[in-house]
Amino acid sequence: MDDYAIGVLTNIGLFSFLALSAYLLLVAGEMSFGQQAFFGVGAYAGGILTALYGWPLPLAALAAMALGALAQFLVGLPTLRLRGLYFAMATLAAAEMFRILFELFHWRVERNGELAGPDGTQGFRGIRWIFEHGIEPVHYLILVYALLAVILLLLVWVERSRLGAVLRGVGLDPELAASVGIDVQKAKLGVAAAAGALAALGGVLYAHHNTYIEPRNFDIMLGVHSLAYALIGGLGTAFGPLLGVLLDIGVLEGTRFFHGYRMIVFGGLVAVLLVFRPRGLLDERMVLWIRRRFS
Amino acid sequence: MLADLIQNSLDGVTAGAAYALFALGFTLIFGVLRRANLAYGPAIMFGCYAATWTHLNFGAGLLLLAVITIAGGVLAGAYVERLCFAPHRGGSAIAAMVASFALWMQFEELATIVMPRHLYAFPALYDGPPLELGPFTLRIDGLVMLATAIAACALLWWILYRSRFGLAVRAVIEQPAAASLAGINVPWVLVRVFALASALGGVAGYLVVASHGQITPMLGMWSTLKGLLAMMLGGLGSLPGAVLGGLALGLIEAHSQWFFGPQWRDLIAYLLLFVLLAARVPWMTTRSAS
Repeated sequence: MDDYAIGVLTNIGLFSFLALSAYLLLVAGEMSFGQQAFFGVGAYAGGILTALYGWPLPLAALAAMALGALAQFLVGLPTLRLRGLYFAMATLAAAEMFRILFELFHWRVERNGELAGPDGTQGFRGIRWIFEHGIEPVHYLILVYALLAVILLLLVWVERSRLGAVLRGVGLDPELAASVGIDVQKAKLGVAAAAGALAALGGVLYAHHNTYIEPRNFDIMLGVHSLAYALIGGLGTAFGPLLGVLLDIGVLEGTRFFHGYRMIVFGGLVAVLLVFRPRGLLDERMVLWIRRRFS
Repeated sequence: MLADLIQNSLDGVTAGAAYALFALGFTLIFGVLRRANLAYGPAIMFGCYAATWTHLNFGAGLLLLAVITIAGGVLAGAYVERLCFAPHRGGSAIAAMVASFALWMQFEELATIVMPRHLYAFPALYDGPPLELGPFTLRIDGLVMLATAIAACALLWWILYRSRFGLAVRAVIEQPAAASLAGINVPWVLVRVFALASALGGVAGYLVVASHGQITPMLGMWSTLKGLLAMMLGGLGSLPGAVLGGLALGLIEAHSQWFFGPQWRDLIAYLLLFVLLAARVPWMTTRSAS
């Protein structure tokens, strides 16, 4: 494989974490415009820990995930009782606040004789842990997909368990779920924390893949993209969001066939697709059909 | 100090006038559809780019440019309505919103393909010196913006409260099912509301680019965010609220920019929205927004 293909494949994997975090909230009935914030929190936290304080990447990733979970939990606490567009706007406001705080965030530390670290709008360069430790791009690719596989197995297992039924219940009809004794607020807060951790993990991996991040990376465009990935891929299974990312980055960017017109083609495709499949390609009915067919 | 406060308030009200028009367009669409149209700002941008393109190639004058901006906005708005909202009526709100985001991407890429430079000059509304009123300065284009916005609001009020079409729109906003039973052609009302909202947006977009004297592809995102913010601040779905929300946003921005700088200006506006939503202040959460 050439470097270009490896880069595209790695990106598909990275953004799948973000799409999965949007998907989790959608399944629980909430539309977030703000997942990019926790992706950004993960990227900054992970980058600071490895590049400035010499932490090993796995430890930094765990810390970043904890921070991402905490951040989304705290944002969710006052907002998860809001419904529909109110919640979407509250998450958008929170995410834009995070982005502006990244712009105001300066944490310069001397490292090997020169200043390094986040420098406001100038961004944060030199997140070079994987290069300093001699990790080849192919190995990083395998690492990303191994982590993604673990997360997917976990999500599939959860969806088949009682917990999965609880989450779908909360998403489809919160009043009904509450009437059978489910604590809706608690369930949604749990989902929010998990979504924050997932987005942050994607962010750590993104920062170390790119070696450079800046506040502009984490704007509303990224957030709505992840929402779109989850929705076009389908809300029936955790594989849906992956399909969404694959369609966008993989098919269109990978082939370069639509070079220059990519968003015009993709945008039209998405809008037309949603007319016929408003819950995505792999929606609940499709998943059921596939299961019947192959079991 | 007091003079600064007054000067900032003047600037804030003129900026807020444009925000109020954006918010009114959002509110009209939200009122009849219960959906947020993310492609609203990008559709306005389409109109503004159409005007800029005409100006560059044929050197059209100010009035013609205004007409082209509005017509382009309405055309783009109709495209959005047909592809994103008509098919999802009574269906999934999330699907409609994501579809409108997909078209946003289309408009933005179209703008950068047809006119690849990041920034284009747009003929200014007025080139002369600002008006001096004692210690205060008033930009003439700001006054034009304010006057046009007031005129547009008056016209909108007349349409909504004094015409048969307005009666139909208000009926659809209050009771869509009953309106349909009473013989109102709801889909046709929706199309015309979209056209009306896009025309309002076109007026606001024209005023903004003409008073800034330039246009960039950021205009789409900018007007969607400002319009959404102003609409939410004034209370989702309320037309007077949209005007107040727009003015409030303009004032908050002008004062916080003066005291804290441009980054804090945006931070404070978003913080205010977040806190008001989290506190569930009564005027913001009365309308259902599923």
